[in-house]
Amino acid sequence: MATRPTPHFSGVVEGIVDEAVVRRLLDHVGAGVGDIHVKNGKPQIVTSLPGFIAAAKYSPWLVVVDLDGDAPCAPAFLRTLPAAVPGLLLRVAVREIEAWILGDRERIAEFLGISIGHIPRDPDSIADPKETLVALARRSRRKDIREDIVPRIGSGRRVGPAYGSRVIEFVRDTADGWRPDRAAGDSVSLARCLAALRAIHRRAVK
Amino acid sequence: MPSSVPRMPTQKPRSRPTYRFGHIYLENWRNFTQVDVSLQRRVFLVGPNAAGKSNFLDVFRFLHDLAAVGGGFQQAVRDRNGVSRLRSLAARRYPDIVVRVSVTSNGSNEVEWEYELRFTQDNRQRPMIRRERVVKGGRELLVRPLPDDERDPERLTQTYLEQVNTNRDFREVSEVFASVRYLHLVPQLVRDPERSVGRRNDPYGGDFLEQVASIQEKTQRARFRRIVEALRVAVPQLSELDLYRDARGAPHLRGKYEHWRAMGAWQTEDQFSDGTLRLLGLLWASLDGSGPLLLEEPELSLHPEVVRFFPQLMARVQRRYGRQFIVSTHSTDILRDDGIGLDEVLVLTPGAEGTVVRPASTFIEIKDLLNGGSTLADVLIPKTRPRNAEQLSLFGET
Repeated sequence: MATRPTPHFSGVVEGIVDEAVVRRLLDHVGAGVGDIHVKNGKPQIVTSLPGFIAAAKYSPWLVVVDLDGDAPCAPAFLRTLPAAVPGLLLRVAVREIEAWILGDRERIAEFLGISIGHIPRDPDSIADPKETLVALARRSRRKDIREDIVPRIGSGRRVGPAYGSRVIEFVRDTADGWRPDRAAGDSVSLARCLAALRAIHRRAVK
Repeated sequence: MPSSVPRMPTQKPRSRPTYRFGHIYLENWRNFTQVDVSLQRRVFLVGPNAAGKSNFLDVFRFLHDLAAVGGGFQQAVRDRNGVSRLRSLAARRYPDIVVRVSVTSNGSNEVEWEYELRFTQDNRQRPMIRRERVVKGGRELLVRPLPDDERDPERLTQTYLEQVNTNRDFREVSEVFASVRYLHLVPQLVRDPERSVGRRNDPYGGDFLEQVASIQEKTQRARFRRIVEALRVAVPQLSELDLYRDARGAPHLRGKYEHWRAMGAWQTEDQFSDGTLRLLGLLWASLDGSGPLLLEEPELSLHPEVVRFFPQLMARVQRRYGRQFIVSTHSTDILRDDGIGLDEVLVLTPGAEGTVVRPASTFIEIKDLLNGGSTLADVLIPKTRPRNAEQLSLFGET
């Protein structure tokens, strides 16, 4: 049986960590990775959404935004956006993409150098997952992790100087890093994203 | 993949303590009437063109030149065309030029040393020291002029810092200054070293290949391996780098590109792109030494998604090797990194009384803007934009 080339997904994300997650997810379900558009936050994505929807007639798109505090739940937030079309998958991370990362409790604990008991069990219920990740890193046994991820007193920022590159390192590491399926076991919003991604990918391959 | 982070090498940090500049105070230095700011492990200098970013970097180069072999006070001032050229134009009459820095230990984060140099010129236009002061751990080790200086003013043409027989008690300061490196690599000069024959430690890259060649072969190969790994982020086809000498003994870089032929094709540095050479220079300089590294607009010729990771690359090199980065930039891609501390960014604003330097953290509205979703770049670009940039589009109309 001749196999058709895998269609490439285009992606739209809020930042560099989100980009790494989306690439990993696409790889994970066996989809090809096309252009990934890294925007600066959600407002830029929401304004450009009609363009992505229109472009989805040519190839599949995956758009991931953080829920943040914008609505009580993902469906409520989705109702405020233009309706998606078959070729475009619009997924909402509850409440930030870091929740998906925290879903693999065992590996993130290992990576941060803390005990697994400190990692919250229900990542989708964390109010501020990014802040939680930083707070967890603060307990790290490893000085390099603390210095990279935790902001210095006086820096006035939410994250440390190499937060992004550290988290990306974890997400990209297929051997000892993040396991999307394991994380999906704890995070409902990630599980739904993965399921939808697999479905759209299956349809596209057929 | 452009999204990957240039990974820096794994190597044990040096056991020797490393130092950085922790504070700088200036009076009447070039276009600064007065500057008084703290310096963090990374320093990003932003401001409109001609605000004085390079002049600010030049203070650290000046300190390097004071302490460097073959340098010294007279030479360092002469290289800058004399005291009257160094002195701020905004300065009224003929005041002293003052440079005062504190040197902080990376380990303890405490100020270990302070060095102050205050100078002017005599009526023969010779640079003359008015005051030289060294403080260690809060205790004054040296305050000149000393009685000997009063008796023989000729002594005030040289700093104690630059002389081995007088700097014994604070040689560490001298070594920190001498370890400062400046890089503003010009790809054309790397490709055509004949243009800068005889220059040593040329910050523009004229002897870059010679510098690379002078490193022990084993170290050189190890560095090349790490650099190729990081470079591949921007230039994925590159698989190998090495150095060879041509028939005349001149060193050349060559890189193996996998793209075009099954076995790969070797190209020499004259075929490397501007971006490849600049990134190569930056990576090499990052690994070469542990003293403060001054970089002039490292974003030039490079893809924005590569540039975007520079702040994090610098943070990780800094942590591992204790190396301070002092960087001038116009790049929004650098400034949108959300791990850059507000106290790491120094904003230069030109005014009638000279350029004012203040940390981004001192703008009261900045935290509210960031909390509202603006990036640091969004906030700083309007502050550093030339007032009448739109006039430029009218050029050619008259």
